[in-house]
Amino acid sequence: MSLDPGFWALQTLNALQLSMLLFLLSIGLTVIFGLMHFVNLAHGSLYALGAYVAAAAATVGGYWTGFFLAPVAVAGLGILLYSGLIRRMRKSGPMAQVLVTFGLIFALLDLTRIVWGDIALAIELPALLDGRVSVFGIGYPVYRLFIIALGLAIFTALAMVLKRTQIGAMIRAGVDNDAMAACLGINVERLFFIVFCVGCALAGLAGAVAAPLLSVTPDMGLQILIPTLIVIVIGGLGSLQGAIAGSLIFGFVQTFGAVLAPQLASVLIYALLAAVLVIRPMGLFPAKG
Amino acid sequence: MFQHTALRYTALILLAAGAFAQAVTAGYFGLEVLTEILLLAMLVLALDMVAGFGGMVSLCHGALMGLGAYAYAILTTKAGIAPPVAMAGAIAITGVAAWVIGAIGARSHGIYFIMATLAFGQMAYSYVFEAPLFGGDDGMGGIPRLDLTLIGLDLNDSRSFALFCLLLLAASYGAAVLILRSGLGRSLIGVMHNEQRMRALGLTVWRIKADVFGLSGMIAGLAGALAAQHVMYISPGPLAWTVSGEALVVVILGGLGTLVGPMIGAAAFVVLKHEVSNVTSYWHLVVGVLLIAVVMSRANGLFGWIEARWGARLERRLSDLTRKSDAEEVPTDA
Repeated sequence: MSLDPGFWALQTLNALQLSMLLFLLSIGLTVIFGLMHFVNLAHGSLYALGAYVAAAAATVGGYWTGFFLAPVAVAGLGILLYSGLIRRMRKSGPMAQVLVTFGLIFALLDLTRIVWGDIALAIELPALLDGRVSVFGIGYPVYRLFIIALGLAIFTALAMVLKRTQIGAMIRAGVDNDAMAACLGINVERLFFIVFCVGCALAGLAGAVAAPLLSVTPDMGLQILIPTLIVIVIGGLGSLQGAIAGSLIFGFVQTFGAVLAPQLASVLIYALLAAVLVIRPMGLFPAKG
Repeated sequence: MFQHTALRYTALILLAAGAFAQAVTAGYFGLEVLTEILLLAMLVLALDMVAGFGGMVSLCHGALMGLGAYAYAILTTKAGIAPPVAMAGAIAITGVAAWVIGAIGARSHGIYFIMATLAFGQMAYSYVFEAPLFGGDDGMGGIPRLDLTLIGLDLNDSRSFALFCLLLLAASYGAAVLILRSGLGRSLIGVMHNEQRMRALGLTVWRIKADVFGLSGMIAGLAGALAAQHVMYISPGPLAWTVSGEALVVVILGGLGTLVGPMIGAAAFVVLKHEVSNVTSYWHLVVGVLLIAVVMSRANGLFGWIEARWGARLERRLSDLTRKSDAEEVPTDA
């Protein structure tokens, strides 16, 4: 155990970086749930797809092509999914939705295997983001700092949109009471559609961002799904604050747990989730009071 | 209440006869597949009890089965306890664990209940994965099978073992039917339909849910103890949430809340898996598309679809027959 401040700074940055990656994923999932009461287990698969699109585009046009193309491509798939499956499943219970999206996980998993094969792909970083900078006397990869900055930027942007713009107010109204919002003349269905597409795009972005960090494999979507679900349940479904709080809690518990108590690290987060579900079954910051 | 219709009896008899014929005639590979089906059927039976009759969609039943397997393995290899006692112990341990999970989860509904069970299942998975006592991700080997030479059965022979599993599956089915027909089971169905009303009638809702969840966990634990004996080796893999998800898929493809349907689903699932895997390695794509199609079709799985289509007609014909020979009427509400 080290008492060196640089070590703790490093771990804090690692925790922040993991939190921001999870935030990008969980915000889409949580708002989709809050607004549509729809459980999209396939959100992780969209993230994996984003990583694959980014990796494929990066080999042709460099990192930034993939970075911008992945959200667009995944949002495109989101539109297809919405019009083909999700809209029809809107009125069914949570069980049917869980099952349909569980089926989607299976189908998308094998489709990525068919298109890209079983071998892990890697992405080259652009010169701008490659290398290390000195933070508290310790070299820290620029790319991880970039992820932290990107996460914070997106959090700020979403917070501004939700708080200050008209569409933000409409989304908040829809989460709070969709029937009442519809009575007031808000086109809730169209709102759902927009939010779903933005959520998918953010999942694709998260995939593109994670691709250089982790290797791109078909099961990366399954691996990230459980942490994302934990984040949104701890945070409370449907709220921005919940997503950021849940992400930070997960990131810090996971990172510092692994450092301080490696034996318990993996159990710790599940125990925390169970505790939250017992004490506050609706999560820490539920969208509905 | 859970009722046996003529169609359900027919399906049960066909299933039992098919399994028995397979157990007597099949070769080594066929017997392995049969045992796999029987153990999966036992797991989905346990899951259907809580999901189909209590609305408790559990994503930890795979982990419960794994817990039963690990408990049996630890008790026999590390603690040196005799296999029959260890089996009873494994069932008891799994039952208690499931009761606790059910009691804690009883307050939450819908997606929150699913998430709570997922959390407990994953907790067990990651603990077993890391703990050196359980052999970590290397798993544990050298698990003995039950010794039944006293009554002339050598369980190390795969034919006897398959028959033994078939017998225990039949016993589990009988137990599940008895539980669902008891006051406890009827209360559970009432809770699923209208929880507030049952509470107003003076029932302790969380106790009912926890009790049935615990009983269902005991069946899952039995399946686990048998699975550990079947392959004589265990690894953390079967505890992962995807296994529970697959079990749920089998319940849905078979027919939720019919008990018979999920067992048909288990047979179809395992056979299909082996057949499709022979042709292509993209087995998950087939299952995924099949699952989406079944859920979108709004039929209650394979058996539910058959029941909706032919159940009533068969029932009417049978009651006509009995009415001719006997004035008494056969109850027809399914």
